[in-house]
Amino acid sequence: MTSYFEFANPTKLCSGTGAVNNLGYELEILGVHNPLILSDAVLEKIGTLSLVIKALEGRKIGRIFTDIPRDSSVETVNEAAAQYRAYGCDGIVAVGGGSVLDTAKGVRLLISQTCEDLLELMGCECLPAGKRVPFVAIPTTAGTGSEATAVAVIRNTEKNIKMEYISQQLMPDVAILDPRMTMTLPPRVTASTGMDTLCHAIEAYSCLQKNPLSDAYAAKAMELVRKNLLHATRFGHSREARLAMANASFLAGAAFSNSMVGVVHAIGHALGGVCHIAHGDAMNILLPAGMRFNRKVCQNEYAQLLLYLAGPEVYFKTPENRRADRAIAEVVHLRKKLNRLTGLPLTLKEVGADPAKFPEVAAAALNDGAVIVNPRQVTYEAVIRILEYCYEERENGHGRH
Amino acid sequence: MKKEILTQLNRTVLAVLLRALRVLYREDKRVRDEVDSWPDGLTLKLKCGPGGAVLALQKSGAHGIRRLRAAQHTDITMNFKSVQGAFRVLSGQVGISEAYARHLFSLEGDIYQTMSFVRCVEYAEAYLFPRVMTKRILREIPEKRLSTLHVYMLSAVEHV
Repeated sequence: MTSYFEFANPTKLCSGTGAVNNLGYELEILGVHNPLILSDAVLEKIGTLSLVIKALEGRKIGRIFTDIPRDSSVETVNEAAAQYRAYGCDGIVAVGGGSVLDTAKGVRLLISQTCEDLLELMGCECLPAGKRVPFVAIPTTAGTGSEATAVAVIRNTEKNIKMEYISQQLMPDVAILDPRMTMTLPPRVTASTGMDTLCHAIEAYSCLQKNPLSDAYAAKAMELVRKNLLHATRFGHSREARLAMANASFLAGAAFSNSMVGVVHAIGHALGGVCHIAHGDAMNILLPAGMRFNRKVCQNEYAQLLLYLAGPEVYFKTPENRRADRAIAEVVHLRKKLNRLTGLPLTLKEVGADPAKFPEVAAAALNDGAVIVNPRQVTYEAVIRILEYCYEERENGHGRH
Repeated sequence: MKKEILTQLNRTVLAVLLRALRVLYREDKRVRDEVDSWPDGLTLKLKCGPGGAVLALQKSGAHGIRRLRAAQHTDITMNFKSVQGAFRVLSGQVGISEAYARHLFSLEGDIYQTMSFVRCVEYAEAYLFPRVMTKRILREIPEKRLSTLHVYMLSAVEHV
């Protein structure tokens, strides 16, 4: 843990069944009278977006923009910002998963910094406050935690990479967590996004930038995942489990926004950019291998994780020197259960990753900002080893990297 | 220590760092590969706090890295928040990764390209600082392919 840390989480959280009904009030408080609604075509089609529109009955809506792909791109953000300006909008409501929320963050940057092209705003902690653009985030998955982070990941289609933007100017003013928004998620997506949340919490708990506050958020997130992910996957209609997972996602997001993530995310971003593998699937596949890679320098942190991943009974029964390995085994065990329940892929082979592209993936992973705070030095050779191991992982594999 | 003295020390270390990077570009393939991956003409600046020392560089096909004397705007700028913070990094008390974790600097420009520069600086640190320091500031000490004395001697006669 560093001797100096910073922690920021200015986002107001509205969490609970029916929370979306308060959207009109929150926009009123923020002084938004003509919002740009960002979402995607699937959410529009299945009716999730209509819950939000209904909550805004009687209020003016500037524009509804749903042309956002699964991996948002610089072009998408630039286009959405152009719509914001064209329709004279005065605030943003983002309804969707990570891609929609990160698009909204990009739009906010462009409008607040009075800029036309997102590529001009690349950087980390370098942007001044700029023009005020109220922003409400309503996540429809419980995974990315984007509603609680100062981070946006946006695809650069020209370079085939996912770019990270890090700035407090990206943090929403309000995040609304309503279990109705995630109720229609299929079991496989519930499992995949839930593992993304777990990965955020574990990496936040073990990165170089970890601090006492991010630890507290990450620990609670892991506990909620342990108690609710399998239930939410089996019984998608359970409001309690859905809300708990939404809260876990927010907590893990707040944790990693302040401590950052590590090698698992670096490789996951690169796999997304080069091989177009869904982020949650990549996290699920890479997490145990990433933990084994870092285990050498994270013995204490992983040992502590066991308490949150397995509960106090297992933690106290496990000898101190075996807790770190047991924590990794708990993650492997959870993955297997989710695989049996939903068919969640366990290897890169299953998701169609092409091994011929691994050198390109490794080069991109090394240039991802997440490697700078990974507790162990990440090398090209190490990334290739992790990728090869994850391509065709053997059952119960406990290899070290 | 007074800010003026720290600024002067930072300026001296930056000059040594620039020379070492130019030498390593010729002598260490790992640094050469990193720099060669940058687009030709890429400009980069290290600003050591408000009113502090500044080092501006440019990727130049013929020389690898060349100094920019009066760069107004660069593609990438690492901006240390204070002269003291910059000194802690340049004097080898804190590594780049820990400096990032401690929010000692902000970054304008492409994070993706900056990571390659960070690796070059870490290679240079492995040569320039004694092992007792690099063990503390680097997560893994890269293998040295020529001696530290050799790097210092070549740096001393390096024309920038």
